[in-house]
Amino acid sequence: MPYEFACGRNSEFIARYILEDLGLLAFIMRRLGTLGVILFGSSFLLYNLAALSGDPLGELRVSQDPRAKQIIISLTRELQLDIPPPIRYFLWLRGVLGLFVGNLDLGNTRSGESVATAIASAVPTTVRLVFTASILAMVLGISIGIITALRQYSKFDYAMTFVSFLLFSLPIFWVAVLLKQFMAIEFNNWLSAPTISLKALIAIGVVLSLIVSSVAGATGKKNYTIFGSVFAGTVVTLWTLQKINWFLEPGLGPIVFFIACVGISYGVTQLSVGIANKTALKSSLSMAVAGLILYYPTRKAFTFDKQGLIVVAMAILTITLAVIAALIMAKIDKAAIVRTTVIAAFMMGLVRLLDQLMYTWPRFISTDAINYRPVPTVGQANSLLEPGDYWISTLDLLMHLILPTIALTAISFAGYIRFARGTMLEVLNQDYIRTARAKGLSERTVIMRHAFRNTLIPLSTIIVVDFAGIIGGAIITERVFGWKGMGTLFNAAINSFDLNLLMGVFFLTGTLALTANLVADLLYSALDPRIRTGSGA
Amino acid sequence: MRINRGAKIALAVAATAALVVGALSPAQAATRSTVVIVDSNTFTSLNPSQPDHNLVLNGNVAYLSGIGFNYYNSSVDLVRNTNFGSYKITANNSKEFKVKYTVAKGKKWSDGTPITGVDLLLSNVLSSNEYSKAAGLGDPASDTLQAFDSLGYNGAYNELIRDVSIAPDRMSVVLTYSKFFPDWELYGPGVSPVHTLVAMALGEKKLGTYAHNVALKNKFLSAYQSKDTAMLKKIAKVWSEAYDVTSVDSKTNPLLLVGNGPYLVSSIVKDQTVTMKLNPNYNSGPATSGIETVVFKTIPDPTAAAQALANKEVDVYEAIATADSVAALNKIGSAVNVDGYAVSTYEHVEVRTGAAQGDTEEYKGVFAGKSQKARDLRTAFLLAYPRQEIIDKIVKPVNSKAVVMNSLQYFPGETNYKKMIGDSGASKFTAGTQDSRTAAALALVKKYYPDAAKEGVKIKMLWGQPSNTRRAAEAALVKAELAKGGFDADMTPTAGWSAFITDVKYDAQFYAWSKTAVTQSGNFGSYKSTESQTGYDNPKVDEIVSSLETDVLTAGQIYDKYVELEQILIEDAVSLPIFQWPGVIAYNSDLKGMDPAPLSPTFLWNVWEWHF
Repeated sequence: MPYEFACGRNSEFIARYILEDLGLLAFIMRRLGTLGVILFGSSFLLYNLAALSGDPLGELRVSQDPRAKQIIISLTRELQLDIPPPIRYFLWLRGVLGLFVGNLDLGNTRSGESVATAIASAVPTTVRLVFTASILAMVLGISIGIITALRQYSKFDYAMTFVSFLLFSLPIFWVAVLLKQFMAIEFNNWLSAPTISLKALIAIGVVLSLIVSSVAGATGKKNYTIFGSVFAGTVVTLWTLQKINWFLEPGLGPIVFFIACVGISYGVTQLSVGIANKTALKSSLSMAVAGLILYYPTRKAFTFDKQGLIVVAMAILTITLAVIAALIMAKIDKAAIVRTTVIAAFMMGLVRLLDQLMYTWPRFISTDAINYRPVPTVGQANSLLEPGDYWISTLDLLMHLILPTIALTAISFAGYIRFARGTMLEVLNQDYIRTARAKGLSERTVIMRHAFRNTLIPLSTIIVVDFAGIIGGAIITERVFGWKGMGTLFNAAINSFDLNLLMGVFFLTGTLALTANLVADLLYSALDPRIRTGSGA
Repeated sequence: MRINRGAKIALAVAATAALVVGALSPAQAATRSTVVIVDSNTFTSLNPSQPDHNLVLNGNVAYLSGIGFNYYNSSVDLVRNTNFGSYKITANNSKEFKVKYTVAKGKKWSDGTPITGVDLLLSNVLSSNEYSKAAGLGDPASDTLQAFDSLGYNGAYNELIRDVSIAPDRMSVVLTYSKFFPDWELYGPGVSPVHTLVAMALGEKKLGTYAHNVALKNKFLSAYQSKDTAMLKKIAKVWSEAYDVTSVDSKTNPLLLVGNGPYLVSSIVKDQTVTMKLNPNYNSGPATSGIETVVFKTIPDPTAAAQALANKEVDVYEAIATADSVAALNKIGSAVNVDGYAVSTYEHVEVRTGAAQGDTEEYKGVFAGKSQKARDLRTAFLLAYPRQEIIDKIVKPVNSKAVVMNSLQYFPGETNYKKMIGDSGASKFTAGTQDSRTAAALALVKKYYPDAAKEGVKIKMLWGQPSNTRRAAEAALVKAELAKGGFDADMTPTAGWSAFITDVKYDAQFYAWSKTAVTQSGNFGSYKSTESQTGYDNPKVDEIVSSLETDVLTAGQIYDKYVELEQILIEDAVSLPIFQWPGVIAYNSDLKGMDPAPLSPTFLWNVWEWHF
C-alpha cells in the first residue's frame, strides 16, 4: 500500500509536467512505448531465469518407469527443449507478437493444453474469488477509515487501528486454517444441535455492544444506555433465534424485511441528501412499501423456471420503479432524489435476495450432498448437488466463497483504513473545508460532499492498480482454499517448470499492471482539476 | 435506542415466524454411497496412455473405468481377473513363445456392446513399432511423432512380439513372441472399446445401437487386418486428441465415456472434481460392495485436505508423509482412521565409479575406478554414512516402526528380507555402532590420506532441491558424520538436481527410486554398465542381470542371483539402500475395506471391496 501511495503521488507531478509540454496523446504514446520496452526486457529476463532454475525433465530422468524414455522424447519434441532458452525465448515472442495480426500463440503447457485456454479458464475463477473480497475490503476499509478520521483519537479509532494492524500482519494461510476450523468445521458440528450456551450468549453480547458503543462514540449515561440496550437486544434475539430453530430454518419474513427497508430508506437518505429532504425520504419509503406489497408475489416468481433471467429482470424492474417513483414525487432537484431512491431500492433488493436465500436454506442443507454440513472448507462448488436449481446453486456458490472472502478481506482492508483515514484527515485540514463550514453548510454536506469526494481522488489511483492486481490472483489463498485461478496456475507453472504457462501468466499480469499504472496517472489528472489546469490548450 | 426497539420488533417477528413454521426435525441421511477422494493434481485426459497425460489422477480414473486380465493386489501379487477372461501359455520352445488370451462370454461394455477379442487388438497397434511402421502410422523410434501418441512403443513388448492373431470365434487372441521372457504377464493386451473409436473416427456423437456397434467393431477388425492407413489414422487422431478433455457434462460426446470398469466418468468440473458413477452393465471384474459414486476432488494443499477430511467433505486422503501432517491428521479424532503403509519407493545412496556410458567427460574423483584405493575409499564413505541416525531423526517421527533398509531388492517385512541380509553380507555396513563404523572409515581413509582427520578428503554430493527440507536434513546429518570419517563433503543443494544425475562433478548422490512393477530383474537393472548413471561397470553384474531379464528361472534360482548381485554390490561398495518411504492414508472411519497396496494405484486397487 505505501508503494502504491508513492506511485499515485508521484504521478501527480509526472502527469502535470508531461501534459504541459507534450500534450495528452504524446504522453500516452510515450508511456505505451515504455510499457513495450519494460515488457520485453522483463519477459526476456524471466524466461531465461526460469529456464535456468530447473529441469523440466528432472523427475523423468530419475524415474525407473520403463515408459520414462518415451515421455522424455515426446516432451523434448513438444516443448522444444533441445533449443537453448535465449533462442527459444524468441520463438515464444514470435507467438506473442502474433497478437498484432490477430493470431496470439502463447504455446502449450506440459500437458499439451493451450496456455491461452488455461488462462482463459483461470481468469473468471480468480475474478470471482478476489473481486468480492476487494470490493468488500475497499468499502469496509474506506468507510471505517473515514469514521476513524471523524472520530480521531476516540476508543473506536484506537480499536480499529489495533485490529487493522493485527489483521494486516497475520499470514493468510494461518487465518485460513483458523477460519476453517471455527467457521466451517466447528460451525457445522454446532449446526447438528444448534443451541448457544449462556456463556457464549453473554460473550457475544459483550463484544457486540462494545463495538457498537465505541462506534456511537457517546459519553456518560448515554454510552451506558447504548451498551446495555445492545447487549440485551443481542442476547434476547440470539436466545429466541435458537429456540425457534432459526439457524436451521432461517428467514426474515415480510415484517422484518419491511423494517429493514424502512431503515435503509432513512440511512440512504441521510447519507445521500440529508434527512431534511422529505421528498427523497418519501420516495425511498414508497419503495419500502412497494417491497412489502410485492413480498409474496416475488416469492412466487422465484419459483419459476430460468431463475437467473428472472432475478435480472426483477433488478431492472426495481430500478425502473424507483426512477419512476422518484420522478413522480420530485419537483425540484430531481437527480439527487432519483439517485437516493435507486440506491435505496437496490439495497432493498439485496435484502430481498438474502431473505429468499434464507428461505432456500432448509432445502439446501438437507440435500444428500450437503448433509447438514453447509460450510465447506475447500473448493469452488459442490459437484454432487443436482444442477438446475438456481437458488441452491447460488447458496452453494456463496457458501464456497464465504471463507476465502472473509480471509482476503480481513488481511487486505487494513491498508485502505489507514490510507482513507490519513487522506481524510489531510482533507479536513484544507482551507476549503473551513470555508464550507464558515458558509454555514451542514456537517453532513461538509463531510459527504466536500471532504469525502476529495478523499476519493488519491484513493481512486490505488483502486485502479489494485484491481489490475486482482487478475494476478492470490497464490496462497487459492491454494489453501483449493481454487484453480491465476495464482494456482502461476504456482503450478513454477513447480513443474512449465515455462510457457509461467510466461503466459506473466505476460497477462505484467501487461495489466503496467496499463493500470498508466490509467491511474491519466485518471488522476482527469479527477483533480488542479492538475488539469496546467494542460494549457 | 432505535437499535433496542428494532431488536424487540425482530424478536416479536421471529417468534411469530416460529409459530407459523413450527419446529424442524432434520431428516436422517440414508446410508452413504459416495466416496470423495482427495488428489493433489488436476485431471487432464481420459487417456493416460499418452506421454503427456501419464499422470496419477488420469491413471486412477482410467483404472476405475476399465479393467483387463490382471491387477496388482496389496501383497504385490499379480492377480488374474477371472471374471473378465483367462490366459495361458500355448507354446514355449526355442522358436517361439505363445500366449492365448480369451475374453469370457457375456462381458459387456457400458453401452451394452459385447466385449470380444477384437477389443484386444488395439493394444498391439499402440505398442508395436513394427505394426506402426507397416501400417503407415509412422516410426515411433524416429524423431517425428507417430500417429498414435502412445507410451507403449520402444519397450520389451515391441522387441519380442512377432505376431498377434485373432481366433475364428473372435473371443481370443494369440500373442506370439520370439522367445520366453519372465515378465510376459505384464505385457498382455489391454482392452479398448474399439467400436466407439471407429464411431468417433466417423464423426458420430451418439451411442450406437447394438447392431451398429457390432458392425463398427467389424470395421475395426478389417482396418486392423488390412492395415488400412487412412482409417487407422482417423482412429489415431481420436485416440490421441479426443480423449484430452478437462471437463465433462451433458454436452460431452458419450462415446468417450464408454468403459468396462466398475465406475464411469459422469461429470468433470475443470480443475475441481471428477465424478464417477457405478457402471450399470459392469460384469468384467469383482462385484462392487455398495459404493455408487466415486469423486476425485483436487486439493493441492495438505492442510486444506486434512481440514476437508475433518469437515467430512472428503473421505479418503493419501497424505504426504511428514511428522506434521500425521500429527494433524491424528488430531481429527475417531471420525478418521490414519494408517501407515509401505510405499514401493526407497531412498538410497550411490557412489560414482566412473562416467555414465555415452558421457564424453571422464570422472577423475577419489572414488573412480576399480583400484583397491578407490574401493577402500568408497567402503569408508558408506561405513561413515549415518543411516540409523537418518531413520531415528527423520523417518521415525512419521513411521515409528521404520528400520534401516539393508537389501536393495527386498523391503523390510518381505518374506525374503531377513534371509537376504544374512546371505548378502550386509553386516559389513551394519556391524558395531555408528561410532565404531565411522572410526573404521577414518582408519581406511588415513591409509591413503594420513591427514584426513584434520583435513578431510574433498567430495561433492548431489541430493536435491534447496527447498526439499527432508533431504536437506538428511544432507546435514550425512555431512556431519562424514566429517568424522575423514571426508569433507560439499553438500550444496542443486536446483534442478536430477538433470545432473550423470554429471561427473559429483562423487556420490542420494535420492529415491520408485518401483512401478514387479519384474524378474528386480531393482538391479540400474546397475548394468549400460544403464548405470554413476558409471558402475562390472561384467559379472551385467551377466547376472541379463540372465534375470531373459531366462526362465525358478524362484530359488532367482533368489540366488539376487544374493550374488547384492554381495557384489556390497563388495564393490557402490550403493546402499537407506529407508523405505512411509505412506500414510487417512480416511473416514465409516468407510470399510481400505487396504492400501504398495504399487500404483495404491489404495484404489480394491475399490470394489469398499463400503460404508
